[in-house]
Amino acid sequence: MRQNTLFEQHFWKDSNRSLDYYLQNMNGYQAAQKVLKEMNPDQVIEEVKKGNLRGRGGAGFPMGMKWGFIPKASEKPKYLVCNADESEPGTCKDRQIMRYTPHLLIEGLIIGSFAIGCKHSYIYIRGEYVNEAKLLNAAIEEAYEKGYLGKNILGSGFDLDITVHRGAGAYICGEETGLLNSLEGKRGEPRVKPPFPAVSGAFGCPTAVNNVESIANVPHLIRMGGDAFAQLGKIDKSGGTRLISLSGHVKKPGVYEIQAGSVTLRQIIEDIGGGIINDKKLKAVIPGGSSSPILTADEIDVVYDVEPLMKVGTMMGSAAIMVIHEDTDLVKLLLRITKFYAHESCGQCTPCREGCHWMESILHKILHGEAKPTDLDLLVDVAQNIGGKTLCALGDAAAGPVISFVKKFRPEFESYIKGQKRYA
Amino acid sequence: MPKCTIDGKEVEFKPGENLITVAKRAGVEIPVFCYHPGLSVVAQCRMCYVEIEKMPKLQTACSTNAAEGMVVKTQSDPVVKGRAGTMEFLLLNHPLDCPICDKAGECDLQDNSFGHGSANMRHTEERRTYVDVDMGPVIEKNMNRCIHCTRCIRFGEEVAGIHEMVAIQRGNNIDITTIDGNPLQTEYAGNYADICPTGSLTLRDFRFRKRAWMLKKTSTICEGCSKGCNMEIQHEGNVIYRCVPRENLEINKYWMCDEGRMNYHYTQDEKRILNPRSGATFIGWEDAIQTLKDQINEKPLTVLVGSDLTQQELENILEYTKNYHKGSSVYHFGTEGVFTSAQDLPVDKILKMKSKTSNLNGAEKLGIKSVQEMKSASDVVLVFAGGRANVQSVTKKLEGKKLIGIGVYSLNEAESFSMVLPSLSFTEKDGTIFNHQGIEQKLKRAIQPKNTIKAISEILMLTANKKVKVGAN
Repeated sequence: MRQNTLFEQHFWKDSNRSLDYYLQNMNGYQAAQKVLKEMNPDQVIEEVKKGNLRGRGGAGFPMGMKWGFIPKASEKPKYLVCNADESEPGTCKDRQIMRYTPHLLIEGLIIGSFAIGCKHSYIYIRGEYVNEAKLLNAAIEEAYEKGYLGKNILGSGFDLDITVHRGAGAYICGEETGLLNSLEGKRGEPRVKPPFPAVSGAFGCPTAVNNVESIANVPHLIRMGGDAFAQLGKIDKSGGTRLISLSGHVKKPGVYEIQAGSVTLRQIIEDIGGGIINDKKLKAVIPGGSSSPILTADEIDVVYDVEPLMKVGTMMGSAAIMVIHEDTDLVKLLLRITKFYAHESCGQCTPCREGCHWMESILHKILHGEAKPTDLDLLVDVAQNIGGKTLCALGDAAAGPVISFVKKFRPEFESYIKGQKRYA
Repeated sequence: MPKCTIDGKEVEFKPGENLITVAKRAGVEIPVFCYHPGLSVVAQCRMCYVEIEKMPKLQTACSTNAAEGMVVKTQSDPVVKGRAGTMEFLLLNHPLDCPICDKAGECDLQDNSFGHGSANMRHTEERRTYVDVDMGPVIEKNMNRCIHCTRCIRFGEEVAGIHEMVAIQRGNNIDITTIDGNPLQTEYAGNYADICPTGSLTLRDFRFRKRAWMLKKTSTICEGCSKGCNMEIQHEGNVIYRCVPRENLEINKYWMCDEGRMNYHYTQDEKRILNPRSGATFIGWEDAIQTLKDQINEKPLTVLVGSDLTQQELENILEYTKNYHKGSSVYHFGTEGVFTSAQDLPVDKILKMKSKTSNLNGAEKLGIKSVQEMKSASDVVLVFAGGRANVQSVTKKLEGKKLIGIGVYSLNEAESFSMVLPSLSFTEKDGTIFNHQGIEQKLKRAIQPKNTIKAISEILMLTANKKVKVGAN
């Protein structure tokens, strides 16, 4: 299940990030060469579609399709924006790519820009990634020096500039339209859709926004061909490998690479993660970043990929798995998660601005033994009034955990309300 | 035309129209807060939910354009629950101080709460409060009442052309305020109060003066400049309390300037002359008309007419001088430096025009020449003015002449006149005026004239009569 890795073997060694290493050990810039010299944009998009490359940021949208939405004939400039805001709690896979294989990202941006007709690409990186921004800038400089960026790349006549733009540390700027607003220097607030970024994105121009891992997969995909890339995935409609960020109560937390759809959640926890810390019992798993609905210990025999997880009512999200053992207080955990979303709500739309804070207040009362018996149903009702009703996905992200925690672990909440358990 | 179905009714629409507009045409009202037809669509308040067939989630009607064959439900259970949810969220932190709020009675939050909310409150936590900034002389801010619809921010940016309102902080702590807490600078600040869907931004001029539901409304035209903004005079007990803009997409859209909004004050000013006055003493109408007759005595006269008078008044004056003072010359006056409609240019990119009188175009249409062309004047000069025309600009030119004023004068203006006969202001008369585009619009009487004020036509008629007889007023 982890024999064919594309990224992992290059991680954890500082010298691997140099251009020399990239050229010698990772077939560096060969895919870009192939694309610029032998292919036309439509062929690139077709290849990516064949490779079943799903977006790695959270929604799992097919990447080739996304690029296909960019209008071919447009008088306006087009932009490819790399979303390096990696803000979903528990996720740290993009950081690995930017730290150890920055040229993979740059090459991916060259190919992507060629495919959609972009001349200036942006990497929007989260403010906290200070070092990664420096490393990216150093790699970009290296690429400029060697003619992989700038005018007339590799003698092909194709021009591309890349700018690294640092965010100021808001979760919401990982949402693609919030990111674009922030990139333009405005408040980081999501925009109304439609129009979608493919029609009117950065600076009002057609824009594709893709996650770091998605873009970094493109050179691999081109080099091995779409069909071979698709076959790396062991499940329909999901090609390539997936980087997973495994954290929480496992013996070996970390970023691991698996072939898409090749393992179940149980295998990830027991085989890759080495089982639960101190050999405790598993209580629950948050399978795709803190916004994904929680799974109980009985629900983890599910293939870890987009569609199987959707079938059991949760989501793969950014592939950040948080493992929770039996000693964990889920009420406390839910309060912490809800507090995060209430804090990160941008405040423009009503249900999220008012509701997330209200949920936090109710949970606070429950935890401190001040809640009435009806408050638990109230909490769920408030969450339902947020979920699916907000301008962007942050409302869903905040409501999902609340609904699933209460549904699956109701007795824990009730014991606080009844006074059987006290906050310590 | 393409068609869609709203609540079972088939409606035609123009491509690009959103569901709120289309539903309105079908007689279906969709509740809104952040949506305003004159501003961009942000879909933030989440009040205008509708259910659309084949779409899994509720959609906001403001940001959804009608499409051929679309089937929309505005009263289904999910919609009703969604709106109730939004109403509950909006009221979590609203102070519910309607009894002392000026907006009560015309408040979107109040109306939609009544229509779509619940009478019960499930929220028991402490409410969010803010410290308010001073917004300047026009607008009073009460941030606790704010529902963060951002209409004010968008109005500033998109209509008034000034980025002065902003959202600071985020999430539950979001605050809508001015940049650095500075007072408002725009000359269109009154609109902030109009578009605010709650009592968060209210008009200082109107504050605590009248409950909104007691006001009677008269649709008329602003006489502040030659733009001719459509407005409503709101009054009660023969007192005007405020003026608000009326929608007219050809002229002022939904807006008006503060100068026009506050213009009505002079008509109720204690310095306005409300009885005939000769020298420094007030006299009766019979004496006044007799004195006027004696002084003008069918001689050719120089007659100055304000370009703030209505078309009917101007016609009356022209007819009177033609019949009773043959050889008279009539000139119009209004704003210094703006003598012809060619000189009447926009002051800004929004509404204001250079001519501070409303009917310059109409005066020109009647062939009246500008006061600039006046070479000499008769010993006695009749000056007709409606209140906005700059009387001082002509009295300067006529030093040494005997001036008789007919119209709306203040005590200060009357000092250079030997006699003043008071007449109706724009709030007290009917008539038509032509705006700078040449559109003819109708002034409508909102309140009854005070004291013994008479219409210009009546004054002229009494003067033309052989025998002076003034009926009971």
